[in-house]
Amino acid sequence: MTGPPPVRVEKALALMPELEALAPLRALLVSIARPDEATVWSSSGPYLTLGKRGVHPDELRRRMPQAFHRITEHLQVLFKAYVEALECQQRADAPGVVAALVRAGRLEEEVGRHTQARTWYEVALRVAEALQDRRPEVEVLRALGYVCVALGEYAASARHFQRSLALAEAEFDQAGATAASEGLGDVAVAQGQWGGAQAWYSRGLRLAEAASDAPHVGRLERQLGVLARKQRDLAAAGEFLRRARERFEAAGPPDEMARVLNEQGRLDAQLGRYTAASAAYREALAWAQRAPRDARLELSIRLNLAELDLEAGRLLEAEAELRRAEQVAIGGHAIRRLAQIYTLMGRLRGAQEDETGFVFFEQAIELAKAVEPSVATEAQVYHAYGLFRSRLGQQDEARAYLERARELFDSLGEAVERERVEAELRALSA
Amino acid sequence: MIPPVRMEPSVPSAVPSREALALLRILVVAGEGGSAGALLQNLRQWADDGRLEIDTAPDLPRAVRQLSGQRWDVVLAVLGEHPDDDLSWWVDTLRGATGSPRFIAVAQAPSMGLVLRAEKSGVLDVLALPLRREELVRALERVRSVVSETAVPLPLVEPHAVGPYALVGQSAAMLDVYKLLARVAGSSATVLVQGESGTGKEVVARAIHMNGPHASGAFVAVNCAAIPENLLESELFGHEKGAFTGAVTRKIGRFEQAASGTLFLDEIADMSLALQAKILRAVQEREIERVGGSETIPVDVRLIAATNRDLKEAIKQGRFREDLYYRLAVVTIRLPTLVERGDDLVLLTAYYVRLFAQRYGKKIQAISDRALGLLRAHAWVGNVRELRNVIERAVIVATDETLRAEHLPDELRGEEATLVDRPQGGLLTLAEAEARHIARVLAHTNGQIGAAAEILGIHRNTLTRKMKEYGL
Repeated sequence: MTGPPPVRVEKALALMPELEALAPLRALLVSIARPDEATVWSSSGPYLTLGKRGVHPDELRRRMPQAFHRITEHLQVLFKAYVEALECQQRADAPGVVAALVRAGRLEEEVGRHTQARTWYEVALRVAEALQDRRPEVEVLRALGYVCVALGEYAASARHFQRSLALAEAEFDQAGATAASEGLGDVAVAQGQWGGAQAWYSRGLRLAEAASDAPHVGRLERQLGVLARKQRDLAAAGEFLRRARERFEAAGPPDEMARVLNEQGRLDAQLGRYTAASAAYREALAWAQRAPRDARLELSIRLNLAELDLEAGRLLEAEAELRRAEQVAIGGHAIRRLAQIYTLMGRLRGAQEDETGFVFFEQAIELAKAVEPSVATEAQVYHAYGLFRSRLGQQDEARAYLERARELFDSLGEAVERERVEAELRALSA
Repeated sequence: MIPPVRMEPSVPSAVPSREALALLRILVVAGEGGSAGALLQNLRQWADDGRLEIDTAPDLPRAVRQLSGQRWDVVLAVLGEHPDDDLSWWVDTLRGATGSPRFIAVAQAPSMGLVLRAEKSGVLDVLALPLRREELVRALERVRSVVSETAVPLPLVEPHAVGPYALVGQSAAMLDVYKLLARVAGSSATVLVQGESGTGKEVVARAIHMNGPHASGAFVAVNCAAIPENLLESELFGHEKGAFTGAVTRKIGRFEQAASGTLFLDEIADMSLALQAKILRAVQEREIERVGGSETIPVDVRLIAATNRDLKEAIKQGRFREDLYYRLAVVTIRLPTLVERGDDLVLLTAYYVRLFAQRYGKKIQAISDRALGLLRAHAWVGNVRELRNVIERAVIVATDETLRAEHLPDELRGEEATLVDRPQGGLLTLAEAEARHIARVLAHTNGQIGAAAEILGIHRNTLTRKMKEYGL
């Protein structure tokens, strides 16, 4: 009754050349991959990763029109944005040209095409630079700043935000200056420069408060809460988060409320208040449900929930949560998150001193290197992989993986994580 | 003669009498676009004679907050404009709430798909708006029936310890396994253990090792299906430093690690033909070479292989080497499924309850008749491994001395006859009956379409089409 067995994703991906044109097909293949039904309860079931899932060529063929439709739809809106830019050009409406080009860039970002988005923004910037009104340029620079963060180009990102801030201040554009300060804070956070980030967020907060810009105030309070927690000033973190929560609970967007509660959960976890942390994460999930679907936000909450269970030794619950997150990540093609999920699964197996857990780290590295390259993710995976090997007493391999992590963090200019890896390497040598 | 496993009900001392109608605390929550106004008014009118205490939460986030603060028996959720989307979020978000309250969903004209999906998610009931008193009372009766469960003491079990595991069971099918195991263990013969997933192949392999001539050596297990194909060779045979990218140090493979002991190759059917050839050489020549190395290393290991696949069928399809099969299957041990083991289910349940109760610091002495009934009725696609998981989770959530139905996972509780019991306007149409049967089979197979298609005797594509048609 049953047809031929499915093809494993690891084999299917090995047959697909690394061509940009095939990216939508790759995404489709990953999203329809299912566990081989015989495997779920088999002894390899607990080690199931994306690579061990299966795809039926028939199903891929059947779903291809959906993929074509999405591609066509994306191209249509992109072309439309370009035509709108042309129409604005015809009307000599240069700010309109900039807005249309930025819109196209944002559309590219929405589907994870950051390099292409940057190209749109660069064209928009050339137009904006010739304008007398500098506000469009402020906006383009901000968009460029964020896309550079996504691409891991922190120095370029900081330059764009700095320029955006200088222009906004010269134009008395308070909202632009607030957003640029927030962006500079975000870049500093991405590089682990907590002090710098705090200064930028505080500056942004002062500007937002002066302008009575409530959404920005709430967001910056949350960011300052995050920073305070990272710097172990837990009382200050609690206070910032309480304020952000009060602000958003009254009338804020549900996704912002979910983010605040997600952070509250992390703070409670750091304080050892596991029940409170779990309740905060559950409530965050409930708020996320009220917002437009955002797989990344949902995954962030679920990963935190799983990590909480892992730290509390509730390994069954941690695994169940990670499997739910895996499903969301595969369905939403959130590959970087998927790599983080497998890293946590590897840590979970490490906690059980299960050597076969190495398969999760190998899969995470594969995803971070080949499927959706991300140096930051790869560095984090190597870091956790090194600790896993060290826990199993495999010191040579542990050292090699930690050195690789250090090298990758170095290439990113990431200070805090690099220092943590360095400390672990010193401990290994001691 | 093996005495049958007897499970006599004890005096249900801790269980309140049926006469006393327990007070139920109900939290009413409205989803986005859903309104609980009129419903609430009715509920308050019915509350006194129905022994109900009712409170409300304006939305799901506030409900989560209220649920984390105190214990509720029932969450009555008024699903909003998108009930299908809402349902999974609600179930997911309310999971882990204090005291595991039962979940009743209320929706405008619930579709069959919604009802079946709810059943699969362990939702106690789906009621239509406007809510009728009799329907609510019937649903709440089922919540109250929990307190009428009868505690049954756990039987004594004498497990045969096998390292960190144990062999438990007295069924005729398992006795045959024990006899064969005893005969083969004393020799150094290569053994092939066959059986469905979760039947205990590794435990049997360990038992052979521990009772055989290689017992003083190591028992090294490799799960061939878990390890990425490109890494399996180096995992088995080891590698020299620099043999390939990522070979940062010399690695001793599992064959060498198992020297003078036993190498257990689990899920051997998942190995590529190229690697099968290398295994064959290792079995025949009793020597290996590390990846990237030129030295031939003699290996003295007992080999035990296991699979849940039909290797003869795999040979016919050209997926498994016939010569390797005959090398491995010098002796073959076939393990029975959990269903074939009859009352062993009770012994295994008792064994696992005690094991996990000790691990998690619980004092569980009994299991309720209803919980046991649910365990007996389940299809156990994952056999003993699935049972072990179910019991572990149940023990974690159990709070008193009796393991009850409410401690079992949603999927098992969802299998209790709910929809069939509920006459919805008389007889079912053929399509309704078919949809319900498909949903039940899918629940039994944990949503595995291929397994469900096999049980139903239809092609998986036909099943997929029908699932789509019925909104499953």
